[in-house]
Amino acid sequence: MTAPPVLGLHDLSLSFGGLQALAKLDLEVANSEIVSLIGPNGAGKSTVFNVITGIYSPGSGDVKFAGESIAGLAPHVIARRGISRTFQSLRLFANMSVLENVMAATYGATKATPGESILRLPRARREEREVRELAEEVLSFFGQRLAGYRWEQPAYSLSYANRRRLEIARALATRPRLLLLDEPAAGMNPAETHEITELIARLRDERDVAILVIEHDMHVVAGCSDRVVALDHGVKIAEGGFDEVANHAAVIEAYLGRDPEALAEQG
Amino acid sequence: MSGEALPPATGPEFAGPQTGTQVTGPQVGVDEWVARRAERREYLPSWLGTAQRSVERVGWWPRLGVAAVAGALLPVLGVSGFQLQVGIDALVFAALAVGLNIVVGSAGMLDLGYVAFFGFGAYGYALLSSGQIGANGIHLPSLVSIPLVLIGAAILGLLVGLPSRRLGGDYLAIVTLFFGEAFVEFTNNVAPTKFGGANGIANLDPIHVPGYQFLSNASYYYLLVVVLVAVMAAMRLLETSRTGRAWRAIRDDQLAAGSMTIPVDRVKLMAFSFGAIVAALVGTVYAAQQISVFPTDFDTPILILIYASLIFGGAGSIAGAVTGGLVVMIIYDGLLRSPSDSGYLFYGLILIALIAKLRPWRRLVLALAALVALGFAVHALARAISASWVGGAPQSTGLIADALRDWLVIPANSQNAGKVGFVLLVCLLIALVQIKGSARIILLVPTIYLAAFVWETILSANASITRQLMIGAILIVMMNARPQGLLGARRVEVPT
Amino acid sequence: MGFFFQELVNGLTTGALYALIALGFSMVYGVLKLLNFAHGDLYMVGAYIGFFVIQWFGGASSLHIPVPLLLVIMFVLAAGVVGFLGVAIERFAYRPLRNAPRIAPLITAIGISFFLENAALLLFGAQYRVYNTPNFMSYSSGIRIGSVSIDTVQIMVLAMAVALMVGLRLIINRTTLGRQMRAVASDREAAEMMGINVNFTIAATFFLGSALAGVSGVMAGLLFNQVSNTIGFNAGLKAFTAAVVGGIGSIPGAMLGGLLIGLAESFITGYISSLYSDLLVFCLLIVVMLIRPTGLLGRPQLQKV
Repeated sequence: MTAPPVLGLHDLSLSFGGLQALAKLDLEVANSEIVSLIGPNGAGKSTVFNVITGIYSPGSGDVKFAGESIAGLAPHVIARRGISRTFQSLRLFANMSVLENVMAATYGATKATPGESILRLPRARREEREVRELAEEVLSFFGQRLAGYRWEQPAYSLSYANRRRLEIARALATRPRLLLLDEPAAGMNPAETHEITELIARLRDERDVAILVIEHDMHVVAGCSDRVVALDHGVKIAEGGFDEVANHAAVIEAYLGRDPEALAEQG
Repeated sequence: MSGEALPPATGPEFAGPQTGTQVTGPQVGVDEWVARRAERREYLPSWLGTAQRSVERVGWWPRLGVAAVAGALLPVLGVSGFQLQVGIDALVFAALAVGLNIVVGSAGMLDLGYVAFFGFGAYGYALLSSGQIGANGIHLPSLVSIPLVLIGAAILGLLVGLPSRRLGGDYLAIVTLFFGEAFVEFTNNVAPTKFGGANGIANLDPIHVPGYQFLSNASYYYLLVVVLVAVMAAMRLLETSRTGRAWRAIRDDQLAAGSMTIPVDRVKLMAFSFGAIVAALVGTVYAAQQISVFPTDFDTPILILIYASLIFGGAGSIAGAVTGGLVVMIIYDGLLRSPSDSGYLFYGLILIALIAKLRPWRRLVLALAALVALGFAVHALARAISASWVGGAPQSTGLIADALRDWLVIPANSQNAGKVGFVLLVCLLIALVQIKGSARIILLVPTIYLAAFVWETILSANASITRQLMIGAILIVMMNARPQGLLGARRVEVPT
Repeated sequence: MGFFFQELVNGLTTGALYALIALGFSMVYGVLKLLNFAHGDLYMVGAYIGFFVIQWFGGASSLHIPVPLLLVIMFVLAAGVVGFLGVAIERFAYRPLRNAPRIAPLITAIGISFFLENAALLLFGAQYRVYNTPNFMSYSSGIRIGSVSIDTVQIMVLAMAVALMVGLRLIINRTTLGRQMRAVASDREAAEMMGINVNFTIAATFFLGSALAGVSGVMAGLLFNQVSNTIGFNAGLKAFTAAVVGGIGSIPGAMLGGLLIGLAESFITGYISSLYSDLLVFCLLIVVMLIRPTGLLGRPQLQKV
């Protein structure tokens, strides 16, 4: 018997009023696998993330994390189990420093009570030290980009690209087994996009984390994914290697207004 | 861009302008430059900011220690009974502001029922340490009654915080406001034989620990210094712990906080509970010092006073909350209650505001000269028309009255003129804010003259109303001019 | 049974009054998403204006103009002055804070409320000012059905409240201004880009909302017969309750909430005790908020991620 996949969505459906956001979606992510989720705007990609992380409850169907159902659990419980994410519209703790942003995400992994923190009892001190080390380690993953002199600056003062990096760093601080990246390359210039592509691969290799990534930039999708899943109107329309999905008739059709040559050229 | 070499690009699209250019230091228009220049804090203007910076370079606990010693030494220098009472009230409000800062400043929730926790502490102490309940009353030792009250306050804080789990900002403000109102209604109307009704509860026991009874006001002053310093230190330590980070995280973005393992509901309830504990602790000491409690001591005006303290000093900053509490209460409770002090405060503030805001100095001198000239001219004119026009005397006495004698026109029966002047003054002040350029300077001179007139006719005489007006004005002006308060950090709010 | 119907009539009248105050409050919330704590104090100013109009024309017992004319002058003047006061407050205190953190305008509103209340104390004194309504509008000359009496003032208040609510609905649903108000309420930036003068629309909303508060102040003076500088806070609380119970930002919700609060208050006072009426009304609010946080007619908003 093999270990269950890190993530399994089974027959997942969700509708908002009359709008069917997800329809009978099945999706699996294996350990240490990088899966890309593509599809036109409004296809339900971010909704998938929101259901996995507990922000929306699934209408029907199940979400399994490492074989256990997590459907309907509170977001912070799911995050503690080992799923972490970034947001498409950046959601940093804007007025906290860079370091604090990352440290805040270790709340679930620490246990010191407020009383212990006020009295600075041994457990509080030890945890504080460990949390700081973890935060520094996670930030150093981004090299010069989030270098030491930035740590005390408020998150709102960072550039757009750096805020995206900080979101990833913050997500890593929860020590996830599964990382959900929502358009990590949005708003980045080509060089930065390339860097992010490499970073995603490095994350998997060095931190042993499975990654589900939503991305519109086909360079990123082609550059890092083991597998690509295409969604349209909440329905999975194609799945497989990048070339296979990119040339899939249904995918080409879903991206209305783009002819096959354009899509192929971009890929 | 940093100088690190990027991996070779795979396509022509990757040949961005950055590739290959070696940049060694920060540059204009480049991320690093912006980041390095971005100030974490907005400091006070000019030399005040320099002083603030050098104070900040010292660690927080030596600063707190120095402040505590200074506070403890004040009564030794010899103060009157009135001044000591003002000091006690100032310490009470400083500590209350620190507690409110947990909920409003750190966790970013508008808790308009906060004053009820203060009242709960006071009433809790009053019931457990007086002859109010039963034939002989309950007279628990303070080391038992105060912890009991604090536990009760923590639980009450959890209960009041419960709606915060489902209700965002505005709704929470309303529910907590109603909780505060309900507390006053409750103490006023329910079971007057037990809670005393409008007459409150009197003859409370002093706080007593084995071997010592807190009887004199001086002893309560020292007790409050200790309480304030302890609360400040505890809050500072909590702010920099996982709990404090979680509070600030939910203030900035609740949804993201949840996805980052922070149990949002529980953290909110903790904020409410800690705020309640601090308020109730201060309430117990306040009740014991006053020897009695009344429902009106915990009504909305007091809530607004606590808010004014916190906003004035700077929400989100412990030092700011304390400074705000001390400054606002010393003005509100001390200076504005003595006619001579309030006059110096009033004219002093105008002068300081002029010196701080009017640049260059030539303009300042011009404005002051115009002000003096205007006064004497108007006075001479008024006297020429009718002696009764200058028949009144200013409310101020002593030096200020002498200085104003031939300058300020005060008619014989000046009450109604003062009221008209007040309305006109408010209109002029609004106009001053709206207009720009040299018209502002021209308008400024008559505005100050009118302000002096209104002060000398009605404001100074009605100090109890004037100080309430000041509290309202503090909230309005601070929010518009310096929302981060005196010592707080400016916050951004990212629209979502 | 007569007692019940009498309480029903009284409850409907105060309810209509609360609904009018809540309406203005809800309109302002709709366009600015701001809890205007000063709204109750605008109502207080309106009530004072009514009182001074009566004094100006000779006092309640020796009026030297006909009563209908007096009423018209009272209502028009209160609506106009309070309306402009509302616009001035918006211009001076709220407009600079449109893009500030959410908490800033709320605190400013509390400050304004406190300032107005104390300015009224300074200008008009602490004593209750009495309208002496019975001297010119006899309470007995109303309709009498069995033991239930509905006096003239109550009839007038109910009729005016209904007329104003219908009028307001027409303004909001049928006129260009109403369309602009709805556009600004749903998305200020988009409305601005579509060429709507947002500043004007918000000012107009403040004018309408504040004028309603002024008119309800005069009504309250006629109905309850007395004015003081503290009536605003309590009326404001009732209006919040009404608006929140009905669903804040929703115009029909404010009306429904106002009527419910008025009726609840009247029946609690009639059947239990006036001491507990405020306490129980607050409890009612908290129960409604816990069961239906968005109010009876409010629509839940989908959280955008």
